[in-house]
Amino acid sequence: MKQFKTILGFELTNYFKNKIFVGVTLFLVAVIAVVMFFPRLSAALTSEESAEQERAVMLVETREGENAALIEQTFAAAFPAYEVHMSGFDVTELQAPITAGEADCAFFIESLTSYTYYVNNLSLYDTNTDIADEALRNIYRVSAMSAQGLPADEAAAILSAPIEHRVETFGKDQFQNYFYTYIMIFALYMVILLYGQMVAMSVATEKSSRAMEVLITSARPVAMMFGKVIAACLAGLVQLVCIFGSAFFFFRINQSDWGDNPIIHSIFNMPAELLLYMLLFFVLGFLIYAFLYGAVGSTASKLEDINTSVMPITMLFIIAFMVVIFSMSSGNVDNIWMLICSYIPFTSPMAMFTRIAMSTVPVYEIVISIAILIGSVFGVGVLSAKIYRVGVLLYGTTPKIGSVLKSVWKA
Amino acid sequence: MKLALENIQKSFGEKRVLKGVSLTAEGGKAFGLLGRNGAGKTTSIRILMGVFPADSGQILLDGKPLDNSQIGFGYLPEERGLYPKKKIIDQLVYFAELKGMCKADAVKGVDKWLERLGMTEYRNKRLDVLSKGNQQKIQLITALVHNPQIVILDEPFSGLDPVNAMLLKEVVREQIAKGKIVLFSSHQMSYIEEFCDSIAILHDGTVALRGDLYDIKRQYKRDKLVVRSAEIDKLISAFAAQATKRSDNELLIQLSSPDEKQEIMKQLTAQFDIDEIKVFEPSLNDIFVEYAGNEGQGGSRS
Repeated sequence: MKQFKTILGFELTNYFKNKIFVGVTLFLVAVIAVVMFFPRLSAALTSEESAEQERAVMLVETREGENAALIEQTFAAAFPAYEVHMSGFDVTELQAPITAGEADCAFFIESLTSYTYYVNNLSLYDTNTDIADEALRNIYRVSAMSAQGLPADEAAAILSAPIEHRVETFGKDQFQNYFYTYIMIFALYMVILLYGQMVAMSVATEKSSRAMEVLITSARPVAMMFGKVIAACLAGLVQLVCIFGSAFFFFRINQSDWGDNPIIHSIFNMPAELLLYMLLFFVLGFLIYAFLYGAVGSTASKLEDINTSVMPITMLFIIAFMVVIFSMSSGNVDNIWMLICSYIPFTSPMAMFTRIAMSTVPVYEIVISIAILIGSVFGVGVLSAKIYRVGVLLYGTTPKIGSVLKSVWKA
Repeated sequence: MKLALENIQKSFGEKRVLKGVSLTAEGGKAFGLLGRNGAGKTTSIRILMGVFPADSGQILLDGKPLDNSQIGFGYLPEERGLYPKKKIIDQLVYFAELKGMCKADAVKGVDKWLERLGMTEYRNKRLDVLSKGNQQKIQLITALVHNPQIVILDEPFSGLDPVNAMLLKEVVREQIAKGKIVLFSSHQMSYIEEFCDSIAILHDGTVALRGDLYDIKRQYKRDKLVVRSAEIDKLISAFAAQATKRSDNELLIQLSSPDEKQEIMKQLTAQFDIDEIKVFEPSLNDIFVEYAGNEGQGGSRS
């Protein structure tokens, strides 16, 4: 136990004294700060400039002479972000002001059921035609109903009859949970890949510098492996706490500037229970992968072999990540793949957490999944320590995994 | 204190690395573990230190099975290396703590050894700024700072300049004088001859020869004379087939029996201008080549 503490302390100090580790953490905190202060900064900038800022210009031309005023009025209401002008131009003259940048877009309305939309670059998110469709359809319906003898205001009232609806969610609201689940899964993914590599690298560096010759005769492999991996886990947690903690802190400062942005509010109003699950799955998932990375690192003789050696583990992890992300976007997080992945220790940290966050999972399933995971963490930890003991003394070409496991079995 | 390895066997996969190694080392004496590359020296050392277990056989300390958690080992591996980018004091204290010292004692002990080896000025430097010889001195500290009862030095003198080699010799003598078991493994036979009272030569996983070095040498037939003389050519023609020239003025004369020794010596001093005459004793190098050469065991012991 004393050895474990010594190793843990030494490895942890290595992380905290590492300039890159400190630099990356500070950089990410700075990025978070910029993001969280953005509404306040942009509000400050826009309020100064709003006086002279011009709204986008939309030109409208129509052949429906008798509806021209109604069209202008409806479009002005439908496009509040635009300054709507009746152009008075002929259809051939509409291109010039748009290409010259005097106007942003134009509608040439041939009839209430047909128009052409002119724009310079059509943005990916340009929904102007949908809005125009709806506006013209309304005018058309109102005028058709008026033609049948119904007064225009009554017709308009019928068309825009308000419908009131409420949603009662008994389980989870996927929309609300999607964003923080996504952020958490992504954080888990990044941290495991980065720190896993660091653990593998740290073991391989000790081996290639031959410090291992002294280490292996000074400390028990289990203490070495657990010390290293748990130090990496703590360093990862500290980094995450710094990043998410500062995000929360900056959010509290700028809460009023964010208004009622649903995404931001859903993220920062994450239930505490889910945060605890997150922490548990994070730690267990981290440990199981870091052990594997450490074991693989011990079999590499040269640092440049590391990337090839860790590939199978990285692939396994990426597959787990893909299954989770695709299931999240499909909206069905309880599909058969996710059910299977919830019990496999290498995929359950992400899969089970996602299901808990975005669906309703019976308690016994959660307990079984966590029990399998905890058991596997210890199993993989001890196996990794054994691989480590055999692996660190093998120099020369990187051994085949089969022969390593055989030696572990015999040892 | 007496350390005994008894019939140690070890295989890695199909390869039998140790095929029943037995040897005995005593406290207050240095023991030389010799053998060609791949003979099984490092495997024996690792089994002794508990890095991995032997397939069979036992290790006894004073007749009782060795408990690695109770006995302190100091090890200077042949493959040297520590953390190149770390401060020297930090890593030395770390290794000392791993060996069971508390932090305060570790710092004190490391500082004492840095001073003893003249390395105090590098205390807060990174390891990789040091020369190879100085790095080796730092590594020696990891082997000795926790005052181990058994000290294992694998090629301790390689890469050291004569001044540092002298310093290391003093340190080794101190360790022996403290009654510790000092295990030497080296290919530099002169150092083994200088320090070790007893040796074992490993060959292909077995002990080809072991025992007290003086006794081993005495066991060789004393039937050769080494003669140094300015009249080497005259001697060659006088002894013809019995004589082998060793160098410009040195000759080896094979006697038909050790009993002839006195008589031939008298004859030589009477008839020739002799500078030096002595009974031939094989050097450790000769013994090593004889026992660890490809042919393995052989020799002309009586």
